[in-house]
Amino acid sequence: MSVQAPAGRRLSAALFRRPRLRVGGLLVLPLAWLVFVYLAALFALLATSFFLVDEFTNEVQRGFTWANFHDVLTDSAYLGSAARTVGIALAVTVLCTVIGLPMAFFMAKVAPARWQNLLVALVVTPLWASYLVKVYAWQAMVQPESGVLDWLLKPLGLSGPGYGVLAVIVTLTYLWLPYMVLPIYAGLQRMPDSLVEASGDLGAKPGRTMRSVVLPLVYPSVIAGSVFTFSLSLGDYITVQIVGGKTQMLGNIVYQNYTANLPFAAAIAVIPVAIMIGYLMIVRRTGALDNL
Amino acid sequence: MTLSRKARWLFAAAMALGLAFIYVPLLVVAINSFNASKVFAWPPREFTTHWWTEVFSNTGVREAVGTSIEVGVIATAFALVLGTLLAFALSRYEFFGRQSLSLLVVLPIALPGIVTALAFRTAFRTILGVELSIWTVAVSHATFCMVVVYNNVIARLRRMGTTPEEASMDLGADSFTTFRLITFPLLRGALLAGGLLAFGLSFDEIVVTLFTAPPGVTTLPIWIFQNLSRPNQAPVVNVVAAILVVASIIPIYLSQKLAGDSPGGGRL
Repeated sequence: MSVQAPAGRRLSAALFRRPRLRVGGLLVLPLAWLVFVYLAALFALLATSFFLVDEFTNEVQRGFTWANFHDVLTDSAYLGSAARTVGIALAVTVLCTVIGLPMAFFMAKVAPARWQNLLVALVVTPLWASYLVKVYAWQAMVQPESGVLDWLLKPLGLSGPGYGVLAVIVTLTYLWLPYMVLPIYAGLQRMPDSLVEASGDLGAKPGRTMRSVVLPLVYPSVIAGSVFTFSLSLGDYITVQIVGGKTQMLGNIVYQNYTANLPFAAAIAVIPVAIMIGYLMIVRRTGALDNL
Repeated sequence: MTLSRKARWLFAAAMALGLAFIYVPLLVVAINSFNASKVFAWPPREFTTHWWTEVFSNTGVREAVGTSIEVGVIATAFALVLGTLLAFALSRYEFFGRQSLSLLVVLPIALPGIVTALAFRTAFRTILGVELSIWTVAVSHATFCMVVVYNNVIARLRRMGTTPEEASMDLGADSFTTFRLITFPLLRGALLAGGLLAFGLSFDEIVVTLFTAPPGVTTLPIWIFQNLSRPNQAPVVNVVAAILVVASIIPIYLSQKLAGDSPGGGRL
């Protein structure tokens, strides 16, 4: 008579022989969540952007109309907002890169090795200070008359930016800067120093080495960081509410309309999704998403 | 790396300026929490610790912290299970759609917050007709918290490779024993770090929370947002803000201790 192995062991052996079953078992829950919760929600948003609204009761009626998109695409105010939003997001991304690249380079290549962890911690810690608190901090910085920047600049005969587009750009740059520094830092860490030295040995001046060796190698990391800085800026509406003065971004329009006219708000929200998906598609080809 | 002296100084200056840019506003928040005046004006003329004592007896703050913790714990629990399973599947197996799935999992944090927020609200209210509750908030939070757990676990799995597990199996342990005695202990740090970061992300979230929470459910960010412009609450908001700034050191410190594989504490 053969001895029966315990049930657990038999199950384990059965699973071992069937890798497809194993991967299926691992995937079923997270895949179900991502598809039936997340993608379904995104799809619901897309579907709603084609729904109608009862003009008297504001109730959403299921149906199909291009009217919401027609409204968005023909009104110059909304198009202006969309353009302003993309412009702000681009400005934030460029600023984050300009500020973040030298910081990341210092952290990865110039600072002594024992400082590195501390510097990373110093850059990352503000990410965990509440988002609202940071926006609130900038409200205190840019406030007209009684703000910190006005107080600092007054002796120089200057004044702070006050509320407006500039304040929004600076605040968003502040919020998302760590998202740019960290991927670049990680990318630079993977780059061997010998490449830079080889470039120097072959006669390149530091500026040339930066342009021809370092920048092409960290390019995918900059792209990875830009996904965050660009996307997070694209969808912001709270920062704009607090420090933007009268500035309107796409997020504000969504926020103002989602109770009264949900399908219209959904149509507006589809714009940043379309922009981001296009951006991610292009970016995926560079392989930058593997660094996220 | 060999750099000229001047270049080194330039980079050091850039770093110092960058850190000043990051920390000056936070310092302003901290100093302002001792501001005696109820109306913000810089520089503060008088200082007091009165608001610091008042914040602990403020029921609004206490309830909001409680709600935030509740949401954070539920969302983190979901995120831990889902993110870990996904990390195993994506790091150990080749299958159709693997690339797309790895893109899909970062989508909740890569897409603008307002999109995720409105998508969930529409799905819950208009399509499913579900009443908003603490659960709708937690489910939405879990979706983007999953990413940080996934990132931490997959980084650890890649680093440890499959040799420890193969050795265990060669010595006669079955998959479950191997998981219990080898894989799980090796992953524990990454799980703790990922869970902690997921909790932090949920605790801080406002955009999705505003859209998926019913009027009665007030998390701490929502409480701050509602009281930001109320003059008689402003001093308490200042203190809460200062506490949150100081408290942000905790998750960073712990996750650096626990994980050690990703310098960013795995948030990215």
